[in-house]
Amino acid sequence: MSKFIFGRYLPLNSVVHRLDPRNKLAISFCYIILVFLANSLLSYLILIALTLGAIKASHIKLGFFLRGIRPLIWLIIFTVLLQLLFSPAGGHVYWHWAFINVTQFGLINAGYIFIRFMLIIMMSTLLTLSTQPLDIATGLASLMTPLRWVRVPVDTLAMMLSIALRFVPTLMDEAQKIMNAQRARGVDFGEGGLIKQAKSLIPLMVPLFMSAFNRAEDLSTAMETRGYQDSEHRSHYRVLTWQRRDTVTWLIFGVGLALILISRRW
Amino acid sequence: MSKLKTMARTQLPKLDTLSMVTMGLLMAVQLVLSRFTIGNQFIRLSFTFLVVALIARWFGPWWGMLTAAVVDIVGTLLTGNPYFVGFTVSAVLGSLIYALFLYQHPVSWPRLIIAQVLIALLVNTVLNTLWLTIMYQTPFWALLPMRLLKQAIVSPIQIVLLYLLFKNHVTQTIYHRLTR
Repeated sequence: MSKFIFGRYLPLNSVVHRLDPRNKLAISFCYIILVFLANSLLSYLILIALTLGAIKASHIKLGFFLRGIRPLIWLIIFTVLLQLLFSPAGGHVYWHWAFINVTQFGLINAGYIFIRFMLIIMMSTLLTLSTQPLDIATGLASLMTPLRWVRVPVDTLAMMLSIALRFVPTLMDEAQKIMNAQRARGVDFGEGGLIKQAKSLIPLMVPLFMSAFNRAEDLSTAMETRGYQDSEHRSHYRVLTWQRRDTVTWLIFGVGLALILISRRW
Repeated sequence: MSKLKTMARTQLPKLDTLSMVTMGLLMAVQLVLSRFTIGNQFIRLSFTFLVVALIARWFGPWWGMLTAAVVDIVGTLLTGNPYFVGFTVSAVLGSLIYALFLYQHPVSWPRLIIAQVLIALLVNTVLNTLWLTIMYQTPFWALLPMRLLKQAIVSPIQIVLLYLLFKNHVTQTIYHRLTR
């Protein structure tokens, strides 16, 4: 096994790391709604306080979060600039040229949108940095349990997902090896135009598919010889436990929600 | 549309162990491929659509949509990107469109082209731009032309790659071993 860790999990021992993964998943989903609700200076300040508090509690350095922003930087700049330059008239007009207006209204709005971007990205980065991939999978499977009522095969999906996560590092190694082997025989990955690059990936994809399928055959035989029949009629070894700190985080979240709802007008 | 109705009436096909494990590994391949992109500064192309189409073609719309949803959620969370439910809807729709055109049908150019164009226009351009607008208040009409242009360049490549993948004898060998 290589040192490659899927995701960017940072092994630290903070309160946030020890939270129940189900809890963290649910909170990060609800957090997006919280961001939608914020619309005034005070509500954004509360949101910033909540987020920075969570980051502080995780003991993770701020630099890791800034790195999470990098892939979305162009979208952020694009959005903020458009808001700044083409906002409808409102408030004091600072600069005017043809159909471009820089107004007080536009400036405030652009600021809000910038903060909004930062907050959403930071919170999702926090989830990734503080939770192990396998915990995310277990938490997700547990949160999907109610879907059984609409006949979603939750247990089978959970089994597939844990197989998938287990094999990501193995297949990643495999992909690297195939690439090196093909490079040694003269394939140039990542060179030339778009079409040439796409064509050069075929010597990677086809062996990768074949290797994945061979592993699938071996694994399914091995599973059946170990007594596997279906995903439903079996017990679980990994059990998640809800603890007091999980209840406390929801209390904090609830207070934050209430404060934001109250402060929406200021 | 009648096809959607029959699909709604049919039960989720029961899986044997081999199919289940194969789907699990294909999900892993999808997560691995999402890390490899080709292209230059302006246009990036990832190859995850190949796996989505493969699962849809081999296992049908139901399993296609379910695995697409799970991979979207887990893949997003693991890479640290912001999660938004709209993108999961997009992933599910993309898989559904592939399955409707490719599951239990012979692969042909018209089928691939219509499926890919539908996905490029409806899902990748309109829906995904809409999600960005909802999530970040990005101006919809300003973003749309750029994303449309990107899809116009990328779609032909995707169509050709899908054709090559499905006509590849290794892929067909795997399918025969799977249905044996």
